[in-house]
Amino acid sequence: MALHSIVTLSVMLLQQMCVYLAVAYALSRTRLFIPLTRASIRWPHRLACYVIFSAFCIMGTLLGLPVVRGNAIANTPAIGAVLGGLLGGPLVGLAVGITGGVHRYFLGGSFGLAAALDIVMQGLAGGVTHRYLIKHGKTRLLFSPLLAGGLTGFTILIELGIDLALSRPFNEALYIVSLIALPELIANAAGAAVFVKILLDRRDSIEQHSSAFSAKALEIAAHVDGVLRDGFDQENSMRVARIIYDQTGVGAVAITDRDKILAFIGIGDDHHLPGTPITSPQTRHAIECNEVIFADGNEVPYQCSISAHCKLGSSLVIPLVGEDRQVIGTIKLYEPKTRIFSTINRTLGEGIAKLLSSQILDGRYERQKRLLLQSELKLLHAQVNPHFLFNALNTIIAVTHDDVAKARALLTDLSVFLRKNLKRPTEDVQLADEIEHIQAYLGIQLARFADRLSVEIDIPEGLLRVRLPAFTLQPLVENAIKHGTSQMIRPGHIHIRARMDEQGICLQVTDNAGLYDPAAPGGGLGMNIVDRRIKNRYGEAFGVTMACERNVSTQATVRIPMEATS
Amino acid sequence: MITALIVDDEIHARQALRRALEPAQDIHIVGECGNAIEALSRVYVDKPDVVFLDIQMPQITGLEMLSMLDPSTMPYIVFLTAYDEYAVQAFEKNAFDYLLKPVTADRLGMTLERLRHSLYRPDFSVLPEANRLRQIPCFSQQSVIFLKLDEVEFIESRASGVFVSDLQGNEHLTALRLNVLQQRTPLLRCHRQYLINVDQVQKLQYLESGLAEFVTRRGRVIPISRRLLPEIKELLGIM
Repeated sequence: MALHSIVTLSVMLLQQMCVYLAVAYALSRTRLFIPLTRASIRWPHRLACYVIFSAFCIMGTLLGLPVVRGNAIANTPAIGAVLGGLLGGPLVGLAVGITGGVHRYFLGGSFGLAAALDIVMQGLAGGVTHRYLIKHGKTRLLFSPLLAGGLTGFTILIELGIDLALSRPFNEALYIVSLIALPELIANAAGAAVFVKILLDRRDSIEQHSSAFSAKALEIAAHVDGVLRDGFDQENSMRVARIIYDQTGVGAVAITDRDKILAFIGIGDDHHLPGTPITSPQTRHAIECNEVIFADGNEVPYQCSISAHCKLGSSLVIPLVGEDRQVIGTIKLYEPKTRIFSTINRTLGEGIAKLLSSQILDGRYERQKRLLLQSELKLLHAQVNPHFLFNALNTIIAVTHDDVAKARALLTDLSVFLRKNLKRPTEDVQLADEIEHIQAYLGIQLARFADRLSVEIDIPEGLLRVRLPAFTLQPLVENAIKHGTSQMIRPGHIHIRARMDEQGICLQVTDNAGLYDPAAPGGGLGMNIVDRRIKNRYGEAFGVTMACERNVSTQATVRIPMEATS
Repeated sequence: MITALIVDDEIHARQALRRALEPAQDIHIVGECGNAIEALSRVYVDKPDVVFLDIQMPQITGLEMLSMLDPSTMPYIVFLTAYDEYAVQAFEKNAFDYLLKPVTADRLGMTLERLRHSLYRPDFSVLPEANRLRQIPCFSQQSVIFLKLDEVEFIESRASGVFVSDLQGNEHLTALRLNVLQQRTPLLRCHRQYLINVDQVQKLQYLESGLAEFVTRRGRVIPISRRLLPEIKELLGIM
């Protein structure tokens, strides 16, 4: 008989529990439940926690089954009380307990007082467990269904003890307890566990906007691509901040350099002004220590350092890292006090910071490389000037005396040479132009070293239309004379050739001096620039190579790809 | 009559200078050279009063060539340069005579005037290249051989001339005198008749008389004079 009653009661209580959990599940789909998905110490969240769990606590009582003429109720307020404490802390637990307890007390019955105290005790037990887990850094366990179920079951056992101790007559109490013990234990433990699982699922579904998340990340990456390459300044930072703000939907976005705010968009932009110095201790710390600082406003307190009335309640500061792991600035994401900083935005923020860092770095590197090459090209031109020019003029003056026609030809050469030299070095020319350039140059050098220099040029007709960067051959020929034949006592000879093979076009300048010394100061500068310019443009497989047989010959070989042909 | 040698590696420059000198009846051009090596021989053979010396020349520059000339028989030097602002600055500061190419008749006239009346011998030691020998010119019948200093074992002065011994044991006659070589190279004077390359010394051995001598890596024995021994020992860190 008794066993039959227990089984019946258990089944009925579980049915009630289903109604209870159905309500919980329905509510979990609403925004109401979002505060419950995190252990929060913020008062609005605690208040929400209190209200919701008190409601569930009362519902648990109301959905109970009266036993023995209504003296006792086989019910499930324990779930609301324990979870209120577990998720909201001791205060919330106590408040839920008292609310549920008072409600139960006024329903009366011989078990009334004991049942009311039970609920208070359960709220406190939840709260104490909360405090313990937080203190020992086991925040994750707060949302363990197993722990919630176990804890609830355990409090039911205590409850039954209290019931026996306080309810009179004892015989009746014993009878009631023996009847409700098992049903309550099963229903409450299972209910609490499932309730927490519902919360967990809700949280996962919040966070697992994961497909949306990667889409968002890609969107941001695509939008900010290249913006900071042009320079890490206020204007570009503002553009990037705008993109991040629009895409992430966080409360506010800021970008700073090491000293001041470069951009700020969102809540609080009335007092977070671009151009003003950094005051936030989190940002300073992030810059000094190259660390990501997350002040969630809960575990790590956050207060705006500019205005006490600032609505921002949490911030994530991520350093932007430049060359040599030097912090060059920060990117900051904020959420207002009314919102919780989502893990998605946290991860996203760190990803964005990495992306921006490498962009800024790339940009700086590119700019420096460009500047260097430009200045070196200018130098290459400047190098041509004084020596060559004065020597050319002297030669022409000397020649004028004996051979006016020859002098006129030399002046023409000089004029052609200078005109070609004034061309922008970034231009492409045909090989024929380049040959004309060196012929003008050689015309003068041959006159200077009349008795001890000869030149041979072998360019197949078919290659004359090949395109190549201007100033590719001339520096090599100049080198062959300056550091080669002009340093010889015996007669010098220079051979300029072009040919085509499987790998592309091959241009060669060979002298018979064999004096090439890669270590000579300034000796290889012109050639290095020619080499790097070709490699920059066509890749590592192309460029200038030098071969030297001491005192016999030096050969400079330029390789450019076939595609360069027009 | 003033004898002159023109040294320039560019034929047109030599011709231009020759033409510019033509009106001066008292200048006799004894020769033209296209490089410093030819020029060294000509200076020793012809002993010109003045050398018009281009700076930028193959192998041995005009400034280096100065270091190879014996100061006591140094001709009057007029530098020639087309464009060499650093050299020009150095020359101006030290009052060396120099001509900028192309040479103008007026400027050349000043130089010749100075030449006719002055016995002024400038001190070229302020020019670093003119002060340090990188290599020693040695004359044979057909050519001038340049011995790098680290190819020298020792140098001996004999009645027949100054001889440079290289690491293969070959002797080369040089026109440079021993005290010029001593001044312009790091070679060590260990005896009235000897300079030695300290890098080639294997040991210093004492003799009974209180004298000492060097033995080179190749086993050549070089005497050390009594007078120089104390300072050599100090220099080599021997107590």
